[in-house]
Amino acid sequence: MRFSLAWSSLRRHGTRTLLATLGVAVAAAMLLDMVMMSTGLRESFRELLTSRGFQLRIAPKGTLPFDTDATIENTSAIVATLRANPNITTVSAVLGGTIHIPIGNRVVTSAALGIDPKVQGDYELISGRDPLGPNDIAGNDDFLKATGAKMGDTLDVASGYDPQLRTYAGSRKLVVTGRVRFIYGAANQLATAMQLATLQEMGGSDRKDDASLFMIKARNDSEVEGLRTWIWRNVPGVSVISTESALVEVDQRLSYFRQLALILGSVSLFVGFLLVTTLMTVSVNERISEITVMRALGVSRAHVVQQIVLEGVFITIGGAIAGLGLGLVTARYLNSILSSFPGLPVAIDFFLFQPRAAWMSLGLLSLSGIAAGVYPSYRAASLPIATTLRQEAIA
Amino acid sequence: MLIRLLSALLLLQQPAHRTIAIDERLAEDAHIAIGDKLVVSAKPGATSGDTVIVSAIVKRGADPAEIARSEYQVRMHLDQLQQVVAYGDRVDRFAIATRGDSATERALRDINASAFGFQAHRSRDIAVGTSRTFQVVSRFHKAIGVITIVASAIFLLCIMLLKVEERRRDVAALRLMGISRATVVKGIVAEAALLALIGCALGVGVGWIASQFINWFYQGVYRTPLYFSVITTPIVTLAVGLSLVLGIGAGLLASLRLVRTPPLKLFGR
Repeated sequence: MRFSLAWSSLRRHGTRTLLATLGVAVAAAMLLDMVMMSTGLRESFRELLTSRGFQLRIAPKGTLPFDTDATIENTSAIVATLRANPNITTVSAVLGGTIHIPIGNRVVTSAALGIDPKVQGDYELISGRDPLGPNDIAGNDDFLKATGAKMGDTLDVASGYDPQLRTYAGSRKLVVTGRVRFIYGAANQLATAMQLATLQEMGGSDRKDDASLFMIKARNDSEVEGLRTWIWRNVPGVSVISTESALVEVDQRLSYFRQLALILGSVSLFVGFLLVTTLMTVSVNERISEITVMRALGVSRAHVVQQIVLEGVFITIGGAIAGLGLGLVTARYLNSILSSFPGLPVAIDFFLFQPRAAWMSLGLLSLSGIAAGVYPSYRAASLPIATTLRQEAIA
Repeated sequence: MLIRLLSALLLLQQPAHRTIAIDERLAEDAHIAIGDKLVVSAKPGATSGDTVIVSAIVKRGADPAEIARSEYQVRMHLDQLQQVVAYGDRVDRFAIATRGDSATERALRDINASAFGFQAHRSRDIAVGTSRTFQVVSRFHKAIGVITIVASAIFLLCIMLLKVEERRRDVAALRLMGISRATVVKGIVAEAALLALIGCALGVGVGWIASQFINWFYQGVYRTPLYFSVITTPIVTLAVGLSLVLGIGAGLLASLRLVRTPPLKLFGR
């Protein structure tokens, strides 16, 4: 009875109901997007960091991995120290650098990672094989496209460019052995991987035994914090970063987006609430005589309240369901804009769909829909029956 | 006299410390004051280094590229920094002031043609190259702005429809008294325009307050003099113009819908 009355009332003013539902749908879409953004970025980054099972990263003191050009010296000694700890199962030393490949009368410049292919956690092999030999190089699609190189081709690769003398610290011929996808690579970034020793040697005497980063796998997750302290004590001049501490840093750097999500999410919720409240208030004002007659016929106050609240909930839920689809489409579009953010891995999603986010948006909107109906329904249920009937009859 | 001479000689024998300037954020966080002695080194955790005296605390520049990084800044004499970081007689870049646009063009051409190992760039080209982050953020804001405009348009249309429909009986009475449809529509549209105008004035005021709050909040969070929100004449013109068009359009649509309904039906007969 209550459901059918509420539904009939909404259908009576079809255009109005449609517009209100559309308004709530846009607000719901925005709310969903903002909830997705506030939690998605963090979750996406966590997934990326833990995707290869490395729980700890060591970077030069006071920096984040590849945040600066700073490197850590005495890599061999550090690797030996780390491998001596029985709680560490894997140590992957990585050196970052820039390589230059002269092709005709142009020079292609690309990022390069010096790695140990057997324990690396920086790329996924798409085709070919890992750069296992000292003269092997693997590149991503952007690199292969820019150089026009194919599997088995030999490239003249130079590193350690001195802009004043226009000379390179080292160069050698490398054979393209694999096509790879870099997990932490930025959009449109040319990137390659080769043996750590190869890149160290090409960097000249300055980089003979350097690394930019160490990635470490612990035997158990519970040992990570203990290992962090142990590394601090045994490896001087480095920052030891766990997944959690990296997330704290990311949170700090990208706090703007979380704050924006909070502000816009709150505004969307408030706009949705305001729209439904206004609609319900006007609707009740129009139906004062109808409601009073119902009350005079013996319909209880609770019944009137429930019917009006139900109307608000119908609009809100209808709008929320439409908003879910709209929100996913807009999230995809907004994500495509933010994915070109300089320096951020292309695999990072600013808007990550999680069922929890959808349920949270729906829950918040339903609550606001109920709250929106409370004032108008209270007003309608508190009308003095005799006086209102007389006034309406005179009107 | 002898004592004074000896003191002066002792002072002369002490190594003269160079001076550095630090940014206000570092001074605040590390509780450093002017006149404090510091040891600077290029290696983290080094036990020895160059002893310097803080001679100035400088305000941070409004550089958008720095806001996401919580880095401290120290300004040293060029030769002093070269010595500390063992950089020899090298620099990373030269900043050159010219006498005008044509002089800039000439200098750019001459340097790039003759200098060995240098590449000259216009400041504005570098600004474009280093502001990609803000271009992305700007595109994101524009997209959010479009969604907000769509939501506002629907909201406004809905409210106007409700406001006009509230006047069903008034409109019915006017129509029965012989007032033409066109007059009724004009009256309602004029009312909508006035309402939109008042809304615009209020909106500009709220926007200005919000902008002040945003600047105050983010300047505090990122400890920068950078302005995060700036209200410009084109922005106000766009917002006011759009609101007026939407308000009047919504009023027109709602009033046309109302005057097409027979007056007796509007009375509920």
